[in-house]
Amino acid sequence: MARLTAGIATSHVPLLGVGIDQGKMEQDYFRPIYAGYDWTKEWIAKPENRPDVVILVYNDHASAFDMNLIPTFAIGCAEEFAPADEGWGPRPVPTVNNDADLAWHIAQSCILDEFDMTIINKMDVDHGLTVPLSLMFGRPEAWPCKVVPLAVNVVTYPPPTGNRCWMLGEAIARAIESYPEQLNVQIWGTGGMSHQLQGPRAGLINQEWDRRFLDELTKNPQRLRGLPHIEYLREAGSEGIEMVMWLIMRGALNARVKELHRHYHVPASNTAVGHIVLENEA
Amino acid sequence: MTRDIHAYLAEFEDIPGTRVYTAARARKGYWLNQFAMSLMKPENRNRWKQDEEAYLADWKLSDEQRDAVLARDYNKMLELGGNIYFLAKIFSTDGLSFVQAVSSMTGMSVEEYQQMMAAGGRAPEGVRSIEGKY
Ligand SMILES: [Fe+2]
Repeated sequence: MARLTAGIATSHVPLLGVGIDQGKMEQDYFRPIYAGYDWTKEWIAKPENRPDVVILVYNDHASAFDMNLIPTFAIGCAEEFAPADEGWGPRPVPTVNNDADLAWHIAQSCILDEFDMTIINKMDVDHGLTVPLSLMFGRPEAWPCKVVPLAVNVVTYPPPTGNRCWMLGEAIARAIESYPEQLNVQIWGTGGMSHQLQGPRAGLINQEWDRRFLDELTKNPQRLRGLPHIEYLREAGSEGIEMVMWLIMRGALNARVKELHRHYHVPASNTAVGHIVLENEA
Repeated sequence: MTRDIHAYLAEFEDIPGTRVYTAARARKGYWLNQFAMSLMKPENRNRWKQDEEAYLADWKLSDEQRDAVLARDYNKMLELGGNIYFLAKIFSTDGLSFVQAVSSMTGMSVEEYQQMMAAGGRAPEGVRSIEGKY
């Protein structure tokens, strides 16, 4: 049977992809940011931890979806997905290979579980999906695992509630449990932490709020589940709403998790960078 | 779970210096955002760079939206239904980074804005709520 073993959350700031692609990782500005991923890179490279498949929860930033199509929860079911051209050419990173059998299984299971997923075949994947892969795996010739893209609308209001995200996570966990192949599966939640990219209030960072969010992912996730959108917006900036996606990851894990690693750094570009690794406890 | 949609939306207007991309803004900004999105294609970027006004004539923007685009007034574009991820295609085509474009909305110079970010960003105190002043 497939097993969901761990969850990872990370920011997906575009600049962090640029820093890796252009070999700037040792520069003063970048070094402390990337250093926080060293532990995870080493951990995930060990055979016992390396996932066969990652369910990668992210949002599209007006790359694959324009205003003509706004799916709340969309699951990529094609064999592969190319890196998107976000206006300055696609990132020089490998094509993402899906485990299409598992993706279709999750799609079907979730729909029967009353989550009406949008199924996507043709889709380019933007920095929201590719930057986390680069942060965990560096610059390989090919990504070392299969990736199921799960795109969430956090751009046009209303995005899904935190509670709904949590419940989708639970449904994904049930789908993984019922998949007959022997697979080590991880789920990643991406985006955040506090940031605002628009208007006179741009540049907002709330370290206290972010750190509490990180604490409570392990210790008190039920409180996070109930946070209303307005709290993310007021406290963590208009783009801080991306953190609802972390709750899909957390909802998929067991009630008890072990925090293996954590990293927090301000700033990368306009954003507070947060990263956490959680292991499922039986 | 029942929610009062009107109260939900009204609260968004209480955040200082922020335009939440609600359905109402998305409707108003449909063509503005679709125009911006068109700049993801290199051939469109070339045509745009050659003659911005001629390029805009193909899109159903209001006069106000068109003027805001030509003036690169991003706060105005947000007010008129633009969304930052779509508008990013305009400033990327201009060769600006997110930090450069975003700082232009804050009334700070790029250098001042970068200094603020390096020092930990804009503190939330006093900019969470217009009515509550906290
Ligand atoms: Fe994002």
